[in-house]
Amino acid sequence: MADESKALQELEDMFAAARADPPALPLHLNTAILADAARVQPGGQTAANVRAERQPMWRQLIEAVGGWPALGGLTAACAAGLWIGMAPPSFVPDPAALAGYEENGTAVPYDSYDMAMVLSEDLQ
Amino acid sequence: MSPAAAAEAVSDDALLVLYANGDGRAAAELTARLGPRVFGIAMRVMGGRAEAEDVTQDAMLRLWKMAPDWRPGEAQVSTWLYRVAMNLCIDRKRRARGGYVDLDAVPEPPDPGRSAAEQMQEGARQDALQAALMQLPERQRQAVVLRHLEELSNPEIAGIMDISVEAVESLTARGKRALAAALAGRREELGYSDG
Repeated sequence: MADESKALQELEDMFAAARADPPALPLHLNTAILADAARVQPGGQTAANVRAERQPMWRQLIEAVGGWPALGGLTAACAAGLWIGMAPPSFVPDPAALAGYEENGTAVPYDSYDMAMVLSEDLQ
Repeated sequence: MSPAAAAEAVSDDALLVLYANGDGRAAAELTARLGPRVFGIAMRVMGGRAEAEDVTQDAMLRLWKMAPDWRPGEAQVSTWLYRVAMNLCIDRKRRARGGYVDLDAVPEPPDPGRSAAEQMQEGARQDALQAALMQLPERQRQAVVLRHLEELSNPEIAGIMDISVEAVESLTARGKRALAAALAGRREELGYSDG
């Protein structure tokens, strides 16, 4: 009986020593666990997704059209188009004439001045 | 409150929810808290480092995958994880049954605060404890490891092993007696005097 109690006490001492010196998580295992965590994390925490998640909508739009250089080209093209539309060079044909319209007195029955006159006559 | 203290104040439950919501730091904190404990248990139950590493990584992977479905407050994350780890250990033992010997098992690193003789003796005692644990039937070994090395309560062990509290008490009592008997023949070798 005394022997059994002594043996159990020695066993308790061994348990205590084992508890006091728990095995540490190996570094490579820690790294592998965290890599798994990143791989299966809801929302997919891949590098690309993390970058997209942290960017505001306007920046994502800019990236969608090709970034700042593409946006610069797009702006220049828009400005050139607007300028050509407002002040076309002499060699550029009139798009309205190409579509079959000719500018004459009957083409537009009422310009804004005539319409104002008609309305004012109705009121009288 | 320092950032470390603030992180400690967050429960495992909350960390798992944070992880499910995309917080990458939550995974690191959960791994730091739970990884070593699962690894320690797996080492004791499997008896080998390589197998214990596989079990730990697999159990943690299942935790990450389960995170979106976790319902906070219903159970403890650690209990769920231990249960998964124990089942993985049983599965691996079943598959390996037939005389598998893990040659990758390595002893604990020596503690520089003790003399070489003391370190060797303590190392020998821990090796003897592990050898005796490996002689126990699977369920007894699990119950003893969870109770006496992880210091979990009997109800918690019952939840992990899916048995009654009485069954846990019976397993741990029989396990301890069997360990004491297995180690009795090595008392002198392990430096225990008769006095």
